[in-house]
Amino acid sequence: MKVVIRTDKLSKYYGKGGEIKAVDGLDLEVYEGETFGLLGPNGAGKTTTVRLLNCIIKPTSGTATVNGYHILKEEMEVKRVTGLLAESPGLYEKLSAREFLEFMGALYDVPGDILPERIDDLLKLFELYDRRDHLLEGYSRGMKQKILIAAALIHDPPILFLDEPTSMLDPRAALMVKDLIKGLTDRAGKTIFICSHILPIVEELCDRIGIINQGRLIALGTVHEIIAQTKTKTLEEAFIASTGGVEEKELLAWREQRTARA
Amino acid sequence: MPKWLVVAKNEYRIHTSRIRKIRPYFPYLVVGLLAVYVAFIAPSFASLFIDDLLALLLSYAALGLVQIILFTIFIYFMIIPITQTLREVQTEQLEIFLAAPIKPSDVLLGEFMGEMPFYAIMVTVVAGFFTAVLNPLGLDFVQMAIIVAIFVVTFLSAFWIGNVIAALLRTKFGGTARGRDIGRALALVIALPLVALVYGFQFGGIFEALSDPSASGTAKLILSLLPSSWGAEVIVGFASNPGNIGAVGFETLTRFGGLVGFFLAVLWLGARAANRAYSLEPTTFTASRAKPDGVFYNTVKYLGGGRSFGTLLVSVFKDYSRRLENLSKIAYIVGLIVMMNVFILGPQLSEELGTIMPLFMIQFMFPILAVFVAGDVTLRGKESLFIYKKTPYGVGRFVKARLIQGWLVVVPVAMGVTALSTIVSAQTNLISLLTNIGLGVLIAAAETAFVLGLFLVMPVFSEKSLRFMLNILIVIFVSIGLFLGSLFSLMAILPELERDLGFLYVLLLQTALSWIVGIVFLSLGSRNLSRIE
Repeated sequence: MKVVIRTDKLSKYYGKGGEIKAVDGLDLEVYEGETFGLLGPNGAGKTTTVRLLNCIIKPTSGTATVNGYHILKEEMEVKRVTGLLAESPGLYEKLSAREFLEFMGALYDVPGDILPERIDDLLKLFELYDRRDHLLEGYSRGMKQKILIAAALIHDPPILFLDEPTSMLDPRAALMVKDLIKGLTDRAGKTIFICSHILPIVEELCDRIGIINQGRLIALGTVHEIIAQTKTKTLEEAFIASTGGVEEKELLAWREQRTARA
Repeated sequence: MPKWLVVAKNEYRIHTSRIRKIRPYFPYLVVGLLAVYVAFIAPSFASLFIDDLLALLLSYAALGLVQIILFTIFIYFMIIPITQTLREVQTEQLEIFLAAPIKPSDVLLGEFMGEMPFYAIMVTVVAGFFTAVLNPLGLDFVQMAIIVAIFVVTFLSAFWIGNVIAALLRTKFGGTARGRDIGRALALVIALPLVALVYGFQFGGIFEALSDPSASGTAKLILSLLPSSWGAEVIVGFASNPGNIGAVGFETLTRFGGLVGFFLAVLWLGARAANRAYSLEPTTFTASRAKPDGVFYNTVKYLGGGRSFGTLLVSVFKDYSRRLENLSKIAYIVGLIVMMNVFILGPQLSEELGTIMPLFMIQFMFPILAVFVAGDVTLRGKESLFIYKKTPYGVGRFVKARLIQGWLVVVPVAMGVTALSTIVSAQTNLISLLTNIGLGVLIAAAETAFVLGLFLVMPVFSEKSLRFMLNILIVIFVSIGLFLGSLFSLMAILPELERDLGFLYVLLLQTALSWIVGIVFLSLGSRNLSRIE
């Protein structure tokens, strides 16, 4: 299988002397046409990894290739072959949905004769066609998320990075996005890189997953392989076993002082 | 389509989103209106003072005058994009650009070009007035064209520099909540030097010194070195030699050429800086930490009666004082009052009108001070108010806490600036000092109660909303109205009253009325807060 994303000791450190290791020596391979899920607790380094692979920030050391392009030497090519749904993206709220997608299409050099039709198709797909001329400031969070997914797809990139794609969506819209992701890999041959906290979605969609904690990749494989590696029964248990969690007896410890006093 | 044009088009759409319905006709409308302005309005307006203006342009003072005008407008135009950006530092949209195949210099140029039409309107207004003034002198077409070009190049340089600085500051401050707070704080105080400059030119004798041909000084030298002054020399040269460009050919070539060179240089430097201006690399990883409560907060808690209300008061105070934006607003007001003292008030005014005069003048700043301190009561959104609505007796305790917190800020500031303004005036004695301080504090405290009440009666959830501006106007008009009402009432009732005593009575009556209005609005506001949904 062709490797489309390959990281080689990819690292990003912050702070004086690099004491904060956001991503630490990441070695990873993602294959063409697969859906890969990167799991990890808050602050584990998922978003930093996505930003590094999209050439938004530069690594402290190590490197990576995306679709064969070097992230340090061929930035523009990397950006062209990727689509990104960021974790907390900035929308231009004073633009309408159509205007925003026009803008995004132009940024990614989508030819002018294709763009209007593609925008209409995406808006229809996300059931926002009737509101295409409404300003985005009036959209609900879920509707904004749909527009951002449409923006990530506007230039039809072979590789899609989706950072928490369904976190703000209602169950119906989340199901639609899940079906879309399946369709994009099964029928369009896209490679999808998902970061998510929602384990059932990752479990359902991803061919392989990686678990990252404190910047280091601590588990890699299919869901079954990871469950087997951690000697647990579910992905949730495997995730907790890998990243650590609160012991059950600690959960009500905060009440003990009061009970003792009473 | 070039990438900068894509960004420019987007920027233009964002700026015109409020007028989307007339967007296709907007350029024609603006060009038409500007044509009317340049052809009719500016000449008509200039003709009102044309003799004086022409005499001034042909006098020794001309160069200094035009230099000052161009320099002030240059600084003003440079500050516009900076303050606009700092007021609402946002970096979320940077991710869109950084993930897309576009060079940072294209983003910078695009953002600048997208705002260009609005800058061009301002430049046209200024240049239109100048050409209307110069036209009667009989300048030829080339001279007029060069003058217009001078305005365009000078002000575009200012806008470009402002845009580059704004982009750099956005990256510097946008990454963290603390940085955004610093940005908002800077947005306000950055205007203070400009105000000082205007006051200095208007009241501080700087203009007289610059226009005196026999005087030579550092200010004159520095001003002549600034690019904005190069164009001034050409304009004044043309005014002295209408229709004869050859007479000032060398000056025109060097000064105008220098100006164009300066513009190209700042364009190049700005494009070079663009890579640093668009970055999502965190500039700091130092999170702000709260220190244990010291003497100050313990005192505040004590003033709040200790116990749970004391804790509530301290929490409200911390939320206020840890926002640099709030502290910069206080600094801004204090700065303005200090400048009023330096440039406008002073011993002479008090000698003529009595020692209560400084309070008469600075009390008009107190409503603004009260708005800065108490006007943000609903700005954090309804959700923050629902916390209090949810708790037992929460609304009453919240209003009480905000009022005491407001007084704890406003009273010392009012006390300080009133004391300062009184002390610098002539004939100050202890009685006049204490009288002024007492009245100043009472008026400021009453206005704080009024502002808090008003902003709860008419809550605003955004500083950009029209309602916010409306509330500020109401505060200003009510405070001026109370002053004028007191003045005219006393003039009608006691027409023979001696002047100094009359001023005192006016302020006493105004103070009493301010308290009545403050208490009424505070109770109305408290009731309205209980009903907000």
